[in-house]
Amino acid sequence: MAETSMGPGPAIEEHAKRPYLIVFVALAVVTGIELSVYSFPLAHIEIISILMATATIKGGLVVGYYMHLRYEPRWIALIPLGGLGLVAVLVAALTSTSAHP
Amino acid sequence: MAHPEPAGHQEEEHHGSPWPVIIAVGMGVGYVGIVTASIPMLLAGVVIFVGGAGGWIHQDMQRPSSAFYGLAASVESRFPRVSARKLGMWLLLATEIMFFSAIIGASWTLRLRTTLLGTPLFQGPWAAPNQILNVPLTGLNTFILICSSVTMVEAFAAAEKDDQRRLRLFLLATLVLGIIFVSIQAYEYQKLYFQEGLTFKSAPDGVNPLYGATFYAQTGVHGSHVIAGVLALAYVTRKAFKGAFTKENHEAVELVGLYWHFVDVVWIFLFPIVYLLPA
Repeated sequence: MAETSMGPGPAIEEHAKRPYLIVFVALAVVTGIELSVYSFPLAHIEIISILMATATIKGGLVVGYYMHLRYEPRWIALIPLGGLGLVAVLVAALTSTSAHP
Repeated sequence: MAHPEPAGHQEEEHHGSPWPVIIAVGMGVGYVGIVTASIPMLLAGVVIFVGGAGGWIHQDMQRPSSAFYGLAASVESRFPRVSARKLGMWLLLATEIMFFSAIIGASWTLRLRTTLLGTPLFQGPWAAPNQILNVPLTGLNTFILICSSVTMVEAFAAAEKDDQRRLRLFLLATLVLGIIFVSIQAYEYQKLYFQEGLTFKSAPDGVNPLYGATFYAQTGVHGSHVIAGVLALAYVTRKAFKGAFTKENHEAVELVGLYWHFVDVVWIFLFPIVYLLPA
């Protein structure tokens, strides 16, 4: 909450610069790209790579701008990153067991 | 001692409500009911949970100023510029990241290992995009969820500027878009289950039976989170129409917004994984 610490004035000025609609357009465009990618005759690994890249871009935009992580103290990002670190361990474990059943 | 009224008021501002405890008891009883496959215990848990939630909402609606708790908490917080309530929400979201990762990871593992399971019950390929699922319809639903994210963040921006009209308008728009998303998903479910024959145990066209189980597990868990978000949105929208939020006092809008955007982020990853990846 910006007001609780910085006062309403600076928070409003800061908010006026936040590009909510530009982010919305970017999200819509990238979603359109996703919807067209799967119909292209690409290799599976290429489609998977493109879709995960577009999802990461979209997720980053929402977290950064709509969830205001860009405007929060840096240490707040450590909380979701901690969760993602455990996800990386999970993915590594699953990939490992999938490759060597 | 000489001023009992201010002392009582001070205690009230620190949110001494019994209802969260009752809600937790209800969830615990319901969970035991699920684990032990006891329907009566599950129903008892649901009844206690709903009663606790109703009591908490009723208590909160009596005093629009209750959203000041976040302000009080931030003053006490050891952390700069972040209230205790917002810190709590981020911690909740971190646990949700791990929860959804486990669901998606389990589904992905089943998909990768299905040919290695060695049992004829679970043989067959994964469905290709559009083979069973309706990608254009869900693409539209994805766009609706993205729209709801932008209306939610605009509602928060309006609250920061104390623009009550835009706050109510955008909160209402977010709520309506959330209801539309859930409705489309419900329509999709009934069509898939009853017309296409995609159930928890079977799939049409020789598709692997695990396909349905993983589909409903992933989208169902997400859908239940959307429903929870819709309920939270209904709560803050009602409070907004009662004039409960001001320029200095609108943390509830931000917290519900954080949760709502997170649900959007989960869908951003779930949609390509479930609907768009090749067989």
